[in-house]
Amino acid sequence: MRRGYSNVSFFLLIFLTLLVLFPFAIVVLTSLRTQQDVVTRGVFAPPEFVTLQNFPDAWRMGRFSVYYKNSLSICLVKVPLGIFIAALAAYPLAKYRFQLRETLLAFFLLGLGIPVNVVLLPLTILLKKLYLLDNLWGLLFPYIVFGLPFQILVLRGFFRGIPDELVDAARIDGCTEFLVLLRVVLPLSVPAVLALFIMDFLATWNEFLMALIFIHSDKWKTVPLGMMYFQGQFASSYPIINAGVLLGILPVVVVYVLLQRYFVSGITAGALKE
Amino acid sequence: MQMRRFLSRYWLLFPALAFYGVFLVYPMIFSFIVSLYRWDGLSPAKVFIGLRNYVRFFSDPTSLLVLKNNLTWMAFMLSIPVALGLILAVILNEKIPGRTFFRAAFYSPTVLPLVAVGIIWSWIYNPTFGAVNSFFRIIGLPHLARNWLSDPGVALYSVILTGIWQGTGFPMLLFLAGLQTIPKELYEAADIDGATGLQKFFYITIPSLRETFVVVISLLMIGSLKVFDLIYVMTWGGPGNFTQVLSTWMYFNTFVYHKAGFGSAIAWITAATSLGVAYPYIRIMSRR
Repeated sequence: MRRGYSNVSFFLLIFLTLLVLFPFAIVVLTSLRTQQDVVTRGVFAPPEFVTLQNFPDAWRMGRFSVYYKNSLSICLVKVPLGIFIAALAAYPLAKYRFQLRETLLAFFLLGLGIPVNVVLLPLTILLKKLYLLDNLWGLLFPYIVFGLPFQILVLRGFFRGIPDELVDAARIDGCTEFLVLLRVVLPLSVPAVLALFIMDFLATWNEFLMALIFIHSDKWKTVPLGMMYFQGQFASSYPIINAGVLLGILPVVVVYVLLQRYFVSGITAGALKE
Repeated sequence: MQMRRFLSRYWLLFPALAFYGVFLVYPMIFSFIVSLYRWDGLSPAKVFIGLRNYVRFFSDPTSLLVLKNNLTWMAFMLSIPVALGLILAVILNEKIPGRTFFRAAFYSPTVLPLVAVGIIWSWIYNPTFGAVNSFFRIIGLPHLARNWLSDPGVALYSVILTGIWQGTGFPMLLFLAGLQTIPKELYEAADIDGATGLQKFFYITIPSLRETFVVVISLLMIGSLKVFDLIYVMTWGGPGNFTQVLSTWMYFNTFVYHKAGFGSAIAWITAATSLGVAYPYIRIMSRR
């Protein structure tokens, strides 16, 4: 790469990075000021004094403890259970030879192209019949089903890379297929499973549309729903709103910053040849 | 006996199949049936009207505006994030200082909850105190300040800009992964032949990324047909219906206006289109 080209692209890079990070800077800056300060001195002015008071205020006024509890509960159950069900299905699709294999795989992958939209009304009616409408645990089933296509795709791809000899050896030792999966295949798939855990945690924490339709009581709201109503209630208390946004995205940011190298591999696994 | 052997091997598929059947396939069929009726979604009174809901969608000016808005959204997502993502990927594929940081920065908006993204940008677009209008006032161009989210002429583009901010990291990451599969020898051979950087880009990089392009375009089209959260949080489809897209329009018809039949027809039009554009992606993925 010649020098001149390098310099131009480096400046372009810095410029674009500043543009991308700019909204984050605005949010953080606003959250550290008082309403009075923001309104009178403008959004770009340095804080008159830095205050952290907006965070406990937002936490309390926005009832974040309720929403955090709900979001964490659903993540803790949905993510492992969903990935486990996906692994169960991905194993035969990767390691058995049977006639319907390709058809079945295509059937599961079709889910990647189905928007949540098309099942919202029928699921509302179905969940109501099961007494699961407006109940945190009602979210579990649709959440799991919409996670499956991508997880099956990624896990099947990974399982196929595991040598057949290892699988056959375990079978000869008398393992059932389930035990082969549990004791041989899954332990060798830790990187893929870890990537899926992280991605699925983010997706579950962030999900909005289904929660909006299926949950109405405040006591079952998840964090995105809670943030939405919080913003509606305190629309013009800018520092409090921005502090609330930061509280709502905190777990996602922490997971992303600490674990991003694991989950980047997961995203690309679903999109490219190994 | 044979049945037992079959079950002991294949039961692993059943939980996933059961979830699919009960929570995806059955609801989809149900939704298609509903789309053939005039129904409010609650009362027992249902009137069968065949495909009239579909005909209505394509003859109703508001629905056509919604379709146009969604296609505009898609056109922007397929051009700017794809182009930017590719440029960033090419730059960040070089060994430059701070490469990991830059990659993480460009991808970071993608991991946020869209509700948070919507709230953040509603603040940035705030007509009185927001960053955009404050910026225009500070640099002495106050006439450029406007109601970004309630001016019918710009509202859709304001939300699209937010979508671009949020959605550029994803194609970037896919292109980066694609770039890493291109053999270095190709570039070395081109160097020996005296190719310029641009020549290498157009004759090696772009053609080698053909499959990545198919995947990126397919996934971004699916994503564009799903867009809901940003619109819901930032504009609620307004002003008028100038930012209404297919999924919000489906939501309003089904759950707010109680036109469940019409809403389900919108959902099915969206789903059929989405499955159509997902097809090349699914084919590539199941071929491996």
